[in-house]
Amino acid sequence: MVWHIFKKDWKLAWVFVLLVSVIHWMDAAIIHKLGLFGEDPTLGMLAEVLPVLAIFASMFLIAAIVHLDPIPGVRQDWLARPIARRDLVLEKFLFVVLMVNGPILAEVLLQGLANGFSFRLSLLAAAWQTEFLFFAFTLPLFSFASVTQNMTQAFILGSGCAFLIGMFTTVASDLNGRAHGTLEPLPWSGVGWVGETARFVLVVAAAITILGLQYFRRKTLVSRFLVALFGFMILATLFLPWKPAFAIEQKLSPKPNAGRDAVVAFDSGLGKFRSPSGLRASSEQRRRYNVGEHASVFLPLEVAGIHTDAFLLTDRVEVRFISMDGKIAFHGIGEEVEVAKEGPNAVADPIYQEIQLPTSVYRDTKDQPVRAQVDYSLTLFRLRGSYSIPALGGDERMPDFGWCETKMNEAETAVELRCMQPGKGPTCATLFLENKATGQRNPVRSSCHGDYSPYSGWYTGDNMAQFGANIPFRDSSGLAKFPVDGPQLPQSRVVIRVYEPEDHFTRSLTIPEIRLKDWEAQ
Amino acid sequence: MIRVENLWKKFGRFDALRGLGFHVPEGSAFALIGANGAGKTTTIKILMNILEPTRGSATLLGVDSRKISPRELRQIGYVSENQDMPSRLTVEEYVAYLRPFYPTWDRDLEASIALQLRLPLERKIGDLSHGMRLKMALMCALPFRPKLLILDEPFSGLDPLVRDEFMEGLLEQAGEMTILVSSHELGEIDGVATHVAFLDEGQLLFQESMSELTGRFREVHVTLEIEAARPAQMPKEWLEMRAIGRVLTFVDTRFDENGLNERIRSRIGGVRGIDAQPMVLRSIFTTLARAARDGRT
Repeated sequence: MVWHIFKKDWKLAWVFVLLVSVIHWMDAAIIHKLGLFGEDPTLGMLAEVLPVLAIFASMFLIAAIVHLDPIPGVRQDWLARPIARRDLVLEKFLFVVLMVNGPILAEVLLQGLANGFSFRLSLLAAAWQTEFLFFAFTLPLFSFASVTQNMTQAFILGSGCAFLIGMFTTVASDLNGRAHGTLEPLPWSGVGWVGETARFVLVVAAAITILGLQYFRRKTLVSRFLVALFGFMILATLFLPWKPAFAIEQKLSPKPNAGRDAVVAFDSGLGKFRSPSGLRASSEQRRRYNVGEHASVFLPLEVAGIHTDAFLLTDRVEVRFISMDGKIAFHGIGEEVEVAKEGPNAVADPIYQEIQLPTSVYRDTKDQPVRAQVDYSLTLFRLRGSYSIPALGGDERMPDFGWCETKMNEAETAVELRCMQPGKGPTCATLFLENKATGQRNPVRSSCHGDYSPYSGWYTGDNMAQFGANIPFRDSSGLAKFPVDGPQLPQSRVVIRVYEPEDHFTRSLTIPEIRLKDWEAQ
Repeated sequence: MIRVENLWKKFGRFDALRGLGFHVPEGSAFALIGANGAGKTTTIKILMNILEPTRGSATLLGVDSRKISPRELRQIGYVSENQDMPSRLTVEEYVAYLRPFYPTWDRDLEASIALQLRLPLERKIGDLSHGMRLKMALMCALPFRPKLLILDEPFSGLDPLVRDEFMEGLLEQAGEMTILVSSHELGEIDGVATHVAFLDEGQLLFQESMSELTGRFREVHVTLEIEAARPAQMPKEWLEMRAIGRVLTFVDTRFDENGLNERIRSRIGGVRGIDAQPMVLRSIFTTLARAARDGRT
């Protein structure tokens, strides 16, 4: 009878299904039309709005499908009909998956094919996106809709839940800021997927329990309580601790022990940190945890034992400054550090570990001797491939970097490199401009972010990673001079070196006694 | 066919049913009567496993209502005044949807019922009037020849013409099926019910066959020689005693043709004449309802 009920639901919901599918496909068409540089502002605006609209429309569609035969209530005709509950829940599940996730799968697949990617890669990206949305979106909404009777009820309850989730995450984020980033270690980190997987497991457990209770026993009150309980548990995964999550990642290292020789040590001989010149083009540091005023200290580091053509990235730097009487004066998260060793004769820049402290903490401790305890969670990347693309008008497809194009930016100060790849895209790459004739190079720019999830997917969009970088060749202020400048661009190329994770490991650094004042920037 | 024992249902602190018990004999047309809020719909929804009882049990077709499966539901027709059907399907589409769920569905019977009830098959359910929707619900409850037909306030809000059409449709197909019908007006099931149960505030006041009920109720007019007055001592089976001029009127709930004269004269003096008239069901119902309200039953 599953197929029979399916046909009835199709008769009732096909217009809605088609409408939502069209929104998804319009979104795909617009993104395709926009191309890599996305220069059309109207299409750009639509590309911003449509994915959000599509996700909301899908949300309403799921609720509408479930409400065709609602569970709560005492007036539904189907309750008095010989319809097997098992058939009904199977049908709803099938209908939701096919009619909500199906068009999304088609969207991503077509997007991949339209952008010239292979069927295998496009299908893989589509499958991952569908899988992600199934766990992160479809299944929880299906369960939620089953505890509501109609769209009004779903909307009111849903708004209430969204408000509570918003409140929770805002408070949690504020508390995390006050705890200097130590409270919510996993979100937005390379091992954020561990927390996400824990949420998926909870979603599956919640869905099985709630759908079972609803469709087989019609226990709406109990189910609503479980929605709240599981919802709270899912939110609580934001606070999952770092160490076990990173330990899982370590177990999954593609080449365990590759980083066994890596050493991180305090190197006071490097002296105080000096602000980099305009030519130094390291990646932008991100701040996520600071609340209010802060001061920075820079600990000079010696990082050794990294093999050639490797890239070392800190996934998490947990810092403790402990006063001599044993009290923790500061516990927080240090800034990200990158160490690249490109080629056997690479000249290493001095490395500093930046630590930002609240001004009040810094003021109270700067003159006192403290013990510094820095716990590093690190990932070693190995070179996977090296590619190049003409600096101007380039249009290349690279196995590890997807499809890329280059052009000069409007201000004529940088080469814009824009790329697209099915899935989550590369995790780590370095880029530089090189004159093919002279061999001269501009400073290397790195673009690395820890994301070691074994899957890819996001709530909105098409699971086509779009990424890129602006590679400067002229300083508009005139202070800096680049070896490869504007006139050389026609005979220049952008060299892209793609890295992949090799090993995840930890290192601890203990400095028995330092004074923070001694390590301010010069 | 149906057996209800010590059935309780609480909604929060409110007891909708308080130890209700009755049984519906096979082949009967059983009327569940009671004022609005008496617990009729709650009882029926428990029987259909739409609601779960707080305490007690209800069995139908030999199965506990909480364990009713599609196998039993294939033998039960259900019509309710507030039954939500997919409003965007046409009558024809919905009937076509229901057919495969009932192995015994008779398409000829379906056609004849549709014709008899004059249902617009091509019209969307959402566009049907209340009466039409009830007739449609009846049409969806009969073609599979259910063993048990449960009608929850089926006449509510129907104009007389539609009600008659509904009743004709029902009676023509009744055959040997057992019917449980709830109503807040006894008059509506006049000529249909063979048995009746009277509910008040979630409790059963009585249950008996219709013939016994109509047989034991009489409106009695006693003409006296002098101005009538209510007697000080009155048997509890005499209800609604009124004195108008020289006539004393009451309802005898234990009518006995042979003994009435003697029972009256032994309690009331100066009797000139006694006239006992059969009562219509509606009057019996209102008498009982008032008595229940006054705590005299």
